[in-house]
Amino acid sequence: MEKRDLSQKNDKLVVENLSMVFSKNQILKNVSFTVKDGEIISILGASGCGKTTILRILIGLLQPTGGRIYKDGRDITQLPSSQRGMGIVFQNYALFENMTVLGNVEYALKCDKSKRATARETAMSLIRRVGLADYVDHMPRQLSGGQQQRVAIARTLAMQPDVILLDEPMSALDAETRLTLRGELQSIQKEFGTTMIYITHDQEEAFALSDRIIVMRDGEIQQMDTPQNIVQAPANEFVKRFVCDNLRIKIDSLSRFA
Amino acid sequence: MYASRKSRWSLTGLQVLLSAFFLISVVVPLIRMLANMTGADFAAIVTSNRFVKALVNSLNISLTATAISVTLAMALAWCVVRTGIKHKNLWILLFTLPMLIPSISHGMGLLVLFGSNGILTRLLNLQFHIYGFWGVVTGSVMYSFPVAFLMIADVLKYEDSAPYEAAQVLGISRIRQFAVLSFPYLRKPLICVVFSVFTLVVTDYGVPLMVGDTDTLTLPVMMYQDVIQGMDFGKGSVIGLVLLTPAVAAFLIDLLNQDSGNSAFVLHPFIIRENKLRDGFAYALCLAVSLFVLLPIGVFLLLTFVNKYPVDLSMTLRHIQRAMDMGAGKYLGNSLFIAVVVSLVGTVIGVTAAYFTARVQTGASRFLHLVAITSQAVPGLVLGLAYALTFRGSFLYNTLTILIMVNLVHFFASPYLMIYNCFHKLNENLEVVGATLGVSRVRVFFQVLLPQAKATIVEMLAYFFVNSMMTISAVSFLANSSTRPLSLLIPSLEDTMMRESMAFVSLMILGVNLMIRLISNWYKKRVSQ
Repeated sequence: MEKRDLSQKNDKLVVENLSMVFSKNQILKNVSFTVKDGEIISILGASGCGKTTILRILIGLLQPTGGRIYKDGRDITQLPSSQRGMGIVFQNYALFENMTVLGNVEYALKCDKSKRATARETAMSLIRRVGLADYVDHMPRQLSGGQQQRVAIARTLAMQPDVILLDEPMSALDAETRLTLRGELQSIQKEFGTTMIYITHDQEEAFALSDRIIVMRDGEIQQMDTPQNIVQAPANEFVKRFVCDNLRIKIDSLSRFA
Repeated sequence: MYASRKSRWSLTGLQVLLSAFFLISVVVPLIRMLANMTGADFAAIVTSNRFVKALVNSLNISLTATAISVTLAMALAWCVVRTGIKHKNLWILLFTLPMLIPSISHGMGLLVLFGSNGILTRLLNLQFHIYGFWGVVTGSVMYSFPVAFLMIADVLKYEDSAPYEAAQVLGISRIRQFAVLSFPYLRKPLICVVFSVFTLVVTDYGVPLMVGDTDTLTLPVMMYQDVIQGMDFGKGSVIGLVLLTPAVAAFLIDLLNQDSGNSAFVLHPFIIRENKLRDGFAYALCLAVSLFVLLPIGVFLLLTFVNKYPVDLSMTLRHIQRAMDMGAGKYLGNSLFIAVVVSLVGTVIGVTAAYFTARVQTGASRFLHLVAITSQAVPGLVLGLAYALTFRGSFLYNTLTILIMVNLVHFFASPYLMIYNCFHKLNENLEVVGATLGVSRVRVFFQVLLPQAKATIVEMLAYFFVNSMMTISAVSFLANSSTRPLSLLIPSLEDTMMRESMAFVSLMILGVNLMIRLISNWYKKRVSQ
């Protein structure tokens, strides 16, 4: 595991020439990008663009056909998921249905000898911070979608990962819950300083949440930039249509009532 | 795969080990049986008059019984799922009572009721008698309809009501709704039900042995006679091969028919509207079937405790004493021991295998899944003969171990599929989440997966237990006088014409199995709360 001197100090994650081939289909074509420490990055694209494949490769569920991933300058391409120091929040939450809210959040801590003694305390403080103090003894099935989402986030935060991957975490929620959670996600990010990679197909969400956005199409990065720069200078016709036009339609339809 | 290479290899290793176990326990004995045919004159056997007659009888009886069984089961499933009748759990328990006693007991129940000296024959002065075609069909329906009922009720329960509501809005008639909505929905599962019931009936020898006459000799009875009485293993193997065909066909159809299973599908449950006429009809049907099911059981009680029906109606424990003298107590011990070990070992193997096939997707898991359900394609009688041929002369022969093995393999597929479906439905990302949290697969298995599978595991234990208690088919060629399970006491008591003791033995099996069923129902209810 060689150290790379090339990487800048605050580069959290460096993805280099990632490619993926599934039975002759090229799912990813030379995908390269860098994520800075503490950033929220969105990977935005329609279904089938390869965004979920990137996530699965980042967390270690898939081995890429080619390319490397570096975290803090260290090559993690071959590491198993458990040693990558990353957390993941799935669209369907994947909560432990047989455990209470508290059980879910403190479970990983209790499995770790060095953290066992303070497990309860840490878990309670996380639960309080995501606003579920009144629900500690509830089972997941007794909670709303938004509340389950928060449990999933608190559970991930318990192990203090420095990168959290979020797989379309809002897509099953109603508009109002999305808005609240979006704000909470940002404040959690600020408080914990965690780097977040957010997979979504929703332009509005990507723009509201992210420091930078990666626009994907057919396994290739179309543009990676700040929301502002993307709107002002879309890299090509696709980005203009897929991102800017869609946003404009939403804004226009609202301004009619303004 | 997020698992490290080392652990991936050990997972694959375990899968190979399990696959090898199933190959050895199912495939090898079958090959041994087929090899045994070389000594027999295949052409002469299959063209012999006796064989052709048995084949025709088997087909006639099985087709008729399957048609009646499946129709009855559909009507009952509809009563329980789609009408407003009360006490549905009680009805379900009553309809499935016949699954708790051996098929041979059903045959005996019919004899005692409708035989030439039967209770109802005398009481109602009936002019017909039960021996022959219709007797065998009735007995076969009795023990095969509960299987079809459970399968169809399950299918109906998960049907979506939305298309029906849409059809109603569009003004499509009830009859057309059935033709364009219900029938296509039911077609695939019904094919499976039909084949399962047919296989069950065509491979059974309990009922025809009791109520059949010389004109209704069926293939399994012929096989039983040739092997047990004639010691002609070659001929038995030829019949075994023939009996294997419908079961293998059923297995393949089931395999090709399997739905991909859409768990994200939103179900709109049926709203049962009030309809007195419909419910009245449903009550009448349920009551009639329950009576049909309970009648033989009532008769067993009567025979057991009455001195000599109808001559001497005074109470007695004489028949129980006689059954005990013939070793009923010891054989009950054998049965309980076999059933407990099969339940425990079978469940452990089933859970382990299903974990690999449903939660660890590697190259070997498809193969393991396939070999784990192959035992479904082998009728008990055939499996028993194959085991007898393979293990004759080995240290396993004449031991309880071989009876445990044969039952475990014979009944493996259903409980395996129960836990496979259960594991499959649990969130696919649990292990991944565990891994990112630093929680090992083993911990996730014991602390997250198993606690959520409790009800299914109890159901598996009960399935293995109940079936091991009542089976006669797989064990009949393998048991001797000291390892014999209780169920096999019935055919040997039949030889000595001790009806009363037979009734008592059937009741013993029913009692134990009913207790297990009630405990498992109670536990499932508790867990679901």
